Order: sequence, then C-alpha cells, then structure tokens
Amino acid sequence: MNLLEYQGKELLKKYAIPVPDSFLMYPESFLPDLSIPFFLKSQVAAGDRNKYGGIVQVESAADFISAKEKLFKTPIAGLKPDVLLAEKKIGYTGELYLSFSYDTRTRAPALSLARQGGSGVAEACVFPIDIVTGLQDFFIRDALLSAGLPLHAELKGIIQKLWRLFESEHALVAEINPLFATGETGYIAGDAKIILDDYHANPEYRPFIDLPGDIAIIASGGGASMLNIDALMHAGGKPANYAEYSGNPPASVVEELTVRILTKPGLKGCWVIGGTANFTDIYETMLGFVAGLRKISPKPDFPIVIRRDGPRREEAFQMLQEVASREGYTFSLFGPEVPMAYTAEYLVKKIYEHSDR
Amino acid sequence: MSILIDKNTKVLVQGITGKEGGRAAEDMLAYGTAVIGGTSPGKGGAREKNNLPVFNSVAEAMAAYPDIGASMIAVPAPFVFDAAMEAIASRIPLIVILSEKVPVSHVAKIIAHAKLNGVRIVGPSSIGIISPGRAKIGSVGAAGIADRIFSPGTVGVISKSGGMTAELSRILTDAGIGQSTAIGIGGDLLIGTDFVDAALLFEQDKDTKALAIFGEIGGTYEEQLADAIRQKKITKPVVALIAGQFSEQLATGAVLGHAGAIVMKGAGSFTSKIKALREAGAIVAETPEDIPVHLQQLLGKTI
Repeated sequence: MNLLEYQGKELLKKYAIPVPDSFLMYPESFLPDLSIPFFLKSQVAAGDRNKYGGIVQVESAADFISAKEKLFKTPIAGLKPDVLLAEKKIGYTGELYLSFSYDTRTRAPALSLARQGGSGVAEACVFPIDIVTGLQDFFIRDALLSAGLPLHAELKGIIQKLWRLFESEHALVAEINPLFATGETGYIAGDAKIILDDYHANPEYRPFIDLPGDIAIIASGGGASMLNIDALMHAGGKPANYAEYSGNPPASVVEELTVRILTKPGLKGCWVIGGTANFTDIYETMLGFVAGLRKISPKPDFPIVIRRDGPRREEAFQMLQEVASREGYTFSLFGPEVPMAYTAEYLVKKIYEHSDR
Repeated sequence: MSILIDKNTKVLVQGITGKEGGRAAEDMLAYGTAVIGGTSPGKGGAREKNNLPVFNSVAEAMAAYPDIGASMIAVPAPFVFDAAMEAIASRIPLIVILSEKVPVSHVAKIIAHAKLNGVRIVGPSSIGIISPGRAKIGSVGAAGIADRIFSPGTVGVISKSGGMTAELSRILTDAGIGQSTAIGIGGDLLIGTDFVDAALLFEQDKDTKALAIFGEIGGTYEEQLADAIRQKKITKPVVALIAGQFSEQLATGAVLGHAGAIVMKGAGSFTSKIKALREAGAIVAETPEDIPVHLQQLLGKTI
C-alpha cells in the first residue's frame, strides 16, 4: 500500500520526525493559515510530481484559487488528486536523501543515504543492515561518515526514528527525499514516500488494479496472470483490470472477484485464464465464476473464453457446457491442448467478430 | 539424480493437522515421499488422518527421528515466523515454507537466522519441490495429475510462480523433456533460496543438463542470475521466461501478482531483466511453449 505524502507525513509526526506546518485542501477549501509564499502539492501516488506540474508555489491570495483549481484538474502519471497539501515553505541550506527499504541482493533491510537529495538524486550509498544485530548507533555513525554527512545528533536521531517507523509499521519502503538541512543542525522532512506491507496491513488483501481496457480478466496464480496480461496485449487486446486469485480458494472468493470485474461498464469480452494448476480445484473455482456471472445484469452477451487445467477440470468443463447451453452464455472452453497465449488471440479475434455484427 | 530431495529424505510437516498441511502430507505420501510425521502443538501423541504420528514440537520429532532432512511449513502466515525459528533451532537442513502472505519483516529475520545456523530456507509462498518419480515436498503436483505434469529427466526447473512451475513442467513433459527437479522458489520480495542458489545446486548435479526458469518483474533475483552466468558460476544453459512486460505502462510502485513484484525506479523492470539475461548469454523465451524448442536446439538428443 503506497501512502500519499500527507499520510506518510502523519506517520513521520507520530515518530517525532519534524515536518513542515501544513493543511489538507479540498476543492471547496479557503486560503490556509500559512504565510505567503507557500506550496500547494498534489496528493497522488506518483514520483516526479514537480516535473509534471504537481507542486505549485502560491505567491498571493488571488494566486491560491487558480493554483488550487489547476492542480485538481492536472493528472500526474494518469492520476488526479482527491486532496492537496498546502505546506509552509522551508528555508534550507542543503537537501539530503534518507531511506530504509529491503535490498533483494543482501535479502535484508538497508539504509540509503545521499548528500544530494531532491528529484534528481543520482547515487545513494546503500548500507545493508544485519537484522540480528539491529540498527546500532555505531552503524549509523559509520554510514554517515561513508556518505560524507555530519555526525549531528539531530540527524542520527531522525535516522533512528525512521528505522523505528520502518520496523513498527511493517513498511517496505520509508523514504524522506528531500530531508532539508536548516541552519546549523536542524532537519525537516520535505517529502515522505512510505509503502506498507499489504500482507501485514491486511492479510485478506488481493491484488487488483483497474486498467483502461475492455477485456475483463480473471487469472489464476500471480505469475501466470502477469504472463497472460502480456500475452493479451501482444494479441492486441486491452485488459480492463488486473485481478487474480491463487492457491485453492472457495467458490465464494472467485464469485466475489467475478462480480467485481464484470460490473465494469463497456466490457467486450472476458478471459478466465490459468496454467496447469497444482492443487486448485477447477470445479470449485468455476462454480464460483458461474455464481458471479449470474449476478451480472444485464446478462453478459460478450464472448467468454476459459482456459484452465488441473484437478477436476473435466467435471468443471461439463458443468460449464451445461450452464452455457441452458442459460445462454457464449463460453469457449480450452484445456492444456492449446497454449495460454493462443486463447488470448482467439478471444481478441472473437471480440472483433462479435462487435462487427 | 536430483537436488534437495530424493526418496530417502525424511520429511516433517509443521502444521500437519491443518487443512493445507494434512492435504499436502497425504499427497506427498501418495507420491512416495518419506513423510515421518508432523507437529501440532498440544496434539502430540495422536495420529493424524494419514495415520502419521503427531508431535508437540519439532524437538520432540527430532528426538524420535534424528535424521529428519526437511521440514515443510504450512501454517497461517502470522505463525510462520515462530514455526520457522523452531525448525531453525533444531537445525533441520531444509525448511520449505508454503504459507503465503508472510510479512516481509518476518522473512528478513528468518533468512538471517537460517544463515547463522547454516540451514536452507525455500519460500515463503513456495509451491514446493519435486524430483519427479522420486519424492516431493509441498503442494506441487496433486495426486492424480502429478504424473501427467512431471516426468523424470535432465532439465532443472526454477520458478517464482507455483502455477508456472506446473505449467512449464507440463509443457516440457508434453515435449518429451523430463525434469531432474522442479522447485518453486516463491514470488515474495525476500526469499530464502533465489535463482542463483537453486542454479548452483543444479550446476553440481551431474544429471541436470540445462535450466528452465520463470521470472517476474520486481526485485533483482533475475539480474543476479545473469551476473552468476557472466561470472561462469553457472555454466549450464539457461532458458528464461520473464512475465510482467505490461507493468512498464503502469505508475511505479504498483504491486502486482506476487508480493515481490514492486517496480521501483527502473530497477527490477522487465527490460532490465531481459537485457541482463541476454547479455549474460541466457536465452530469453517469448512464450512458455518456446522453452522446449530452445532446449531441443541447445541440447539436441542429449535431453
């Protein structure tokens, strides 16, 4: 889960890391109680907001209204903000980079530091942390010295506090970029990028991403689902969503997922796709699909292509054929005799014929 | 030959009275794996549904069977840390974690402690390990279809995805290419055994002639494999399939199918992985069905 800047800064405050004074701004909000000039920042989960016009310096009260309206209308990486952050302008003498994240090379958490932060941060020094020892003061001193940074107590304190946040909140990434150096020894967080571990935050979490296409996809297995979206796009199809289930879920899970993806308006086809399952009960999961399908109104008349293999596939396909002929759905059923990618091409061709009629 | 497990590996199941653990134990027995029993704290002394002994703890099981060679963990995610630390404390040499959605902070600690104690972790989110015709650990290849998917042979399969472990192996089997061992390493951000670790084992296995791998965007495990190939630590031919090209059209930071698939700042992207592997001399397949074609071209009739 990617936190927005203001959510990240609320966490920083909770761990006593200094952040600038700020107010949340909605479309109807009035001028905030900040001295002019101040910043208005679009709250979207995307990097390089500055580059794409997502951060504006407000120079006057009159300026505020137009800046606010413009920011709410400006998409950044395709995302428009629901809220803006009005933030006090901080005078600074330096911009640092500071983060904790997991390093897949050492398979351990790592502290990253750079003397030059900001959006163009080139190379940070990465210090892998021995999690058995934990983050000790000597380690922080050594890291600061290697990165060419001063051994200020305030800076060491902020690093310790950010580590506590990283550990206690089960973050995957906790990044402050830039960390402003103010005057002699003061530091204040200019931005916050925090990603929390979804599986810790919500064990029921299932990946779901809305995509701008018109083919609904129910994919089985994390790896095959990514591979199959690639295959669908190669075939010229436009995926409407990214959604998958894995393991051996009860029918109700697949039913819920089916309803979620098929309620999207403007769909032209549906692809139920997976490789050869190790232990997923194909019959059970296809019962879930049918139960979900029956809840969709109006009844989908677009092509539905199903390619599955694994335990109880024959029973599942017999059931699906009966449902199709009895209830009037257009199912095309495939087993392991054809490649997964072939069924993507088949579906795209069928949609073309279908909408041509 | 095979890596990690064979007919003689004595396997313990942690969480054997649970739904997943019990089903996997039943399946492993049916495949001929030497499952000696399992643990379920408080239920020690009983027999579970397959008539295997249940122990209260790993230490109790070790007292009865000092030569346990592997433990399979199938307990709910919040209990995985404790179960893994228990197996590590008993120095079980191979610990396969099937459980999904284990917090990354727990996995980091498990990996660090396993390293200190000289034991190997596979997973979490591993589908398991199968040495076709010999033995298997985990949910890989359910009874009834295992023999249709997996066949004994000379290609080592390493996959981040459980489903693709089976799909690739079935495609190889259908093409007449058997597998020495197929291993699901899991798609989490941090994993106990990565592509390089598994490939190094296959490198030592004299019956493995080539490797088929399934990778995904996110992390650097595919790039590390490319490094190991370039450094000649891995000399056997590698054919790789990488998923997630479409993610290059998404905002960075999006989390896709597997928890490890976080795309950040260009590192771990589809392009980065494909480029690294090709430059190192690995063959990058376009589709799963291309893998046996490449393997046949590489190895001819020696497969």
